[in-house]
This record gives sequence, structure tokens and C-alpha cells, in this order.
Amino acid sequence: MVLNTSDPRPKIPRPAAPKSQRLPLAQRVAPYVFVAPFVITFSLFGAWPLVKSLVLAFYITNGPKSQVFVGWANFRYLLADPDFHKAVWNTAVFAFWSVFLQLPLALGLAILLSRPWLRGREAFRLIFFSPNLLGQVFVGVLFSVLYIPQYGLLNRALHALTSLPVIRTFGQIPLDTKWLSNPALVMPAIVLTSLWMYVGFNMIYFLAALQAVDRDLYEAAIVDGAGPWHQFLAVTLPSIKPVAIFVLVTATIGSFQLFELPYLLLNNTAGPNNAGLTVVMYLYDRGFQIGDLGYASAVGWTLAAAVLLISLAQMKITGAFRGTGE
Amino acid sequence: MRSFPFGNAALSLLILSILTGTWLATHAPPRRTATLVFWTFASQHYNAYLKAIPAFEAQHPGVTVQLQLVSNTALASRLQAAMLADVDVPDMVEIEISSAGTFFRGPLKDVGFLDLTERIHKSGLWDGMVRARFAPYTSRGHIFGLPHDVHPVQLAYRRDIFQKEGVDVSKIRTWDDFIRVGRKLTIPNKRYMIELSDSDPSNLEMCLFQRDGGYFDPQGNCIFDNETAVQTMLWYVPLVAGPGKIGNNLGGGQILTKAVEDGYLLCLICPDWRSKSIETDIPRMAGKMALMPLPAVTPGGRRTSTWGGTMLGITKKCRHPDLAWALALYLYLDKPQLAQRFRDTNILPALRSAWDQPSFREPRSYWSGQPLGLLYARLAPHVPFQYTSPFIATAKAKLGEALVACVQYYKEHGSAGFEPFVRAKLKQKADDVRRLIARNPY
Repeated sequence: MVLNTSDPRPKIPRPAAPKSQRLPLAQRVAPYVFVAPFVITFSLFGAWPLVKSLVLAFYITNGPKSQVFVGWANFRYLLADPDFHKAVWNTAVFAFWSVFLQLPLALGLAILLSRPWLRGREAFRLIFFSPNLLGQVFVGVLFSVLYIPQYGLLNRALHALTSLPVIRTFGQIPLDTKWLSNPALVMPAIVLTSLWMYVGFNMIYFLAALQAVDRDLYEAAIVDGAGPWHQFLAVTLPSIKPVAIFVLVTATIGSFQLFELPYLLLNNTAGPNNAGLTVVMYLYDRGFQIGDLGYASAVGWTLAAAVLLISLAQMKITGAFRGTGE
Repeated sequence: MRSFPFGNAALSLLILSILTGTWLATHAPPRRTATLVFWTFASQHYNAYLKAIPAFEAQHPGVTVQLQLVSNTALASRLQAAMLADVDVPDMVEIEISSAGTFFRGPLKDVGFLDLTERIHKSGLWDGMVRARFAPYTSRGHIFGLPHDVHPVQLAYRRDIFQKEGVDVSKIRTWDDFIRVGRKLTIPNKRYMIELSDSDPSNLEMCLFQRDGGYFDPQGNCIFDNETAVQTMLWYVPLVAGPGKIGNNLGGGQILTKAVEDGYLLCLICPDWRSKSIETDIPRMAGKMALMPLPAVTPGGRRTSTWGGTMLGITKKCRHPDLAWALALYLYLDKPQLAQRFRDTNILPALRSAWDQPSFREPRSYWSGQPLGLLYARLAPHVPFQYTSPFIATAKAKLGEALVACVQYYKEHGSAGFEPFVRAKLKQKADDVRRLIARNPY
């Protein structure tokens, strides 16, 4: 039996463009010529490496000369590797604190610094933002000195503070507290450092959003008898929601990309008991210390998929897909 | 201009890109002009070689050597990237012992260094150098690096405080003697007998080597869960945790300087290279410090261990391997040079016959007049073997994880159930390494 797959609908011939309306060849080709540099560069240094890394994820490699196809073995090993589990856990903990500590702090600071009655608020904005002007390398080195046991500034300050009679009853922080070599303290040290660095940065986004909130809405809320807390819930939060979602998603993605800060704080290691091991650090270790770029590619794609899923989930939960409702 | 259809801005961009492209194409960076390019990571080595290389160039007319100082971490990454991409690979490289193993991974044909085994045997270096020092640079029976040093370990101690406390170091022969004295001198949170880490495996590793243990056997099998390792861990952890703790570690650099000057730390594990760092970083302790051999594990046992090391390798990309080998021999075997370098660096060369030079017997005022070279040279023949593997970095990290877990357990439970825990933890971590090795198809 032969099926007739021809379209029974009558074909309407397209009218040919009059010759006088056709663009000259140079003008028709020109757009392609102008986008060509980007397309070529992106294809060469963006798309091709992506495709290549996806292919590599199914190989065990030792440089470009030695590659052995292993199918899904890299992904299976990855999911069973305790180091990967540890890296995922650490990264998730860091992301959690980034979202639930850093962002509320940034918003709080932004609200405070948007108060017209606050004197010198421009100076404070600069002060809070300025840590972000420093690179992670500088911050890593700086804080590794602050965290030094016995002689470090942080331990000296905390020890002095907890030596005060009232506070001493709750326990004294010893001078030789090892922030960077006690596994239990490594993550708090990283979170603290990142707070110092990024709270001011996120604050700037919130400040910009707060300045765009319609003042009439506050006046209307006051007329309706709303107090400061209700004004915040009913006016401020809904008004800054798009920016808040943006900050939330970028902060989460940034948290999953964490690498330089712990790497430098922990002296080019993952810290004691891998307490500072993040997923990107794990990727770097497997790719460039052990030399298996194939496995590292598998880690990279797994991370990309995880970040995509988490970001989508966040956007779904926060209603980003519904728009602003206007 | 008028006939260009997209305006002056687009035309300007086009002209600019053509001009810059042409300029770049015609002014390509000059290809390297040196005959040999040599990377090293240690500034002490760099300074010494900088002085020595002009004489080598004079002996070889027309030959130029470009010496580059690259930081240790950067050197390992850059060399790996250069070897993978086959671009800008230097001719000769000095690599730190803990990175060396990672360059020997993959099939032998893919190792980026020349196999020096034959040259080493033919030139008599196999017998002339401390043999144990070839082991870390050997993979599957092939030697890929010439050892720069021996790095025997002693203990540096605050002689003034020991004297004040009436401690006679000549009576400290074993670790048991040392621990006994340590328990007397240690004042918790104020003074500790020795710098030992409860999280970094470097000190534990040194103790493991002293007992003929290690990470890998000569065949590359992971062995840091064997009986030697278990016993070492059982012995080490109570020194850094619990009520009998005599060791602590605060960190390096200025903090170490302060800790030694304040008398917070009384003894430091001191390979030859570290004796120079101590002289430089803690100058105010000149005349107050002295060295003693490492206490033995059992009476009459080995009084040293090893910590650190450097190999010199010739890359397969080297266009003049014979010349590179000549330079390697010139730098590593020339006795007057080695004598002067010892004065500058305190590093004992691997060439045994060089130790007879007068500079090795000179008393050093910093070390209370002790003949530094002689002390290290006496211990050098007893330096233990250590074997490497491409998985050495992971093995070190895993031993560190085991140490942290054991310290934590000991702090919480003391010695109750400690031995089974140590065995299980070491096995678990060694199995992690074995699983990684098992994935290796080469």
C-alpha cells in the first residue's frame, strides 16, 4: 500500500518581489558580514567548547591524546562519590546562608540607607559597597590573616568581648580558635567573609528598587492605617519583587559557582576534612589536579543542570513566570 | 567614502579592524630566542642559578639559557596546560615533590618528561646520589627527574628555654623520651612542646615516612591504611588532641615567627630547607635556637625522616636534550657551586660526594654554633624512601580527612574504641583512593 502524502490543499504562488524593490547584493550580504565576527567567535570559543565538553563528559581523558569512551560511567561515579556529595552539601549550605542571611541583611541595609533622615547615608552606601570593589583574591588573603589563631584580629576581639563579666557566663571564645583548620568553623568563616563582600553589592540593587517605589502607595497605606511593618509587607515587598527575584536567582547561581574565596582562604586546598570543598573546586581538582577533563566535564554539566533546575524552581515559587500582574 | 552604504561609523570600524589586524599579523610576538628555557618555583634556586648560568653560557658559546621564576602553584598549572596544548613548553623544569606525581599519569608515551633512567645510570648518578631520592620521581620503573636535594629532617628547638628548664637534649633519644619532656614543658593554651598539626597531614606524613610507611608502595598501590599507618595514627593523634596534647599549630609566616619568639612553640620539625626559612623569618632567635636529630620510634631506630623535595625534569619538547642534560649536571653536580649554594640555602644536595666541602662543616651562629651541614649530612643516608603516584594529591587529601576524623573522635571519646575507629577510617579513605585508581584505564 502506498500512502498519498501529498498536500491536497491548493498551492498559492508567492508573488515575486518586483526587481526594483530588491536590495543590491552588497546590502543583502552586509548584515551577515557584520554579525560574522560575533558568530565565528562565539561558535569557536562558546558553542564548540560546549559541544566538545558535552562529548568529553562521556570519556576518561588524560589530555587530548588519550581518551577512553566510558559512556555514563563518569556520571555514575560522580553520583556515588562521597567527595561530590560533600561538595554539593557544602555548596548548598553556602547557598542557603547566602539567600537567607545575605539577602535579608542587604535588604535591611538598603531600607535603612534609604531613610531620608539618616545623615551621611551616601557615605554609608559607599562604605558598605566598597568591599565589592576588591577582588576575591584580596579578600581571601585579608580574611586569612584576620582568622589567624592566637594573634588574629577576630580571635583577639572575640576573646576580649567574651571575657567581659556579663558575657563570660555564656562561654569564652579561646584565643587559639582555628577558624580555617577546624572543620566545624570553616563554613561559618567562608559565609562571614562572603557576607562582608557581597551584602553591600546586593544592597545597591535593593536601594535602586526602593527608590523606584511609588511614594503615593505609602501615603495611601498610611491613610488606611498601616504601620511600618504592614507598609513593608503590603507596599515595599510587592513593589521590589522583580528586583528581589533577580537578586535571589543571581545570588543562588553565584553561590553555586563559589571557588576563589574558599580556595584562597584555605591556602589552595579544600580545607580540613574537605570542609570548604565546593562543586567548582571539586571540578577543578578532578580536571586539573587529577587531569581527567572528561570527568570534570561531567561535573560541569551536572552543575549546570542543577543550577538551571534550582533557578527555575525559585522563579516558579516566587511567581516570576506570572509577571508583575499588570 | 560616499559609496560606502552603511555610514561613516561602520566604515571607520572596518578600517580600524583592518589596520589593527594587519599590525598584529605583522608584529607577532618574537619567537623565543633562548636555546634553553628553564622554569623553577623556588626563589632560592632561582637566585643561585642566576649566578651560575653565565659561566655555563661561557662554556657553551652561542648558547643562551632563559631562567624563569614561576610560583609553585602556577608552575604546576601552567606546565600542565602547556603540555596538554603543546604550546610554550619549557625545556627544563624544577617541580616540587608533591606535584611531581601528577605529571606521570597516563600511558608512558604521554608523560611530558624525558626518561632519564639511562642517562642517570650511565653517568654514575644512581650510585653517587642518595638513592631514596630517585623514588618520588620514578614511575613504572622509569626515572623522570633528577633529585635536587635530600631534605633530611631534624628538630629545631628553643635552646635557651630548654636550658632554663633543665632539659638535656642528648637524653632525648626516642619519641617516648620526647613526649615525657613535652608533657612537663607544655602549658595548655600558653606553651606547646612542638608544632604539630591536627588537620594538615604534612607532619603525620613525615612521621609515617620515618616508620617506613607512606601513601603508595613502589608499584603504586595505595597503602596508607596498612598496620604502620594505623599505628602511626594511633600514636600521633593523642599528641595533638585530648588531655595529653603537646603539639599545636597556628600557621606559617609571621604567626610562626611570633609563636616561636613568644615561646608558644618550643620545637619545630625542621628539614634542611626550613632551617633557612627559620633563619630568615625569625632572625631575633639567632643564637637561641639549636637542632637535634628526630627522636627515634624505637631505641636505636632511624633518627630522621624527610619533608619536601624538588626534581629537575627535561621535557619531551626540549630541542636540545643533551645540552639540557649538561646544564642539569652543571647545576646539580658542580661541587664549588653546591658548596656556595649550601651557604645560601642550607639545602643539602643529593650528590653525596659534595658533602665533604668545607662549607658543610662550618659552624652556624644562628644555630648556637652547630655545624649545620654536618648534622644534616650524617642523617641524609638514612632518609626513608617515598613513592609517588599520579593520585598523590588525592591521597594526601584523604589522609588529611582521616586525621581530622580521628582527632574529632579522640576529642569526643578518648581512647575508648579509638583503634577500631582509626582502622575503619583509614581503610575508608584509602578505599576512596583505590576506587579512583581503579577508574584509571591507562
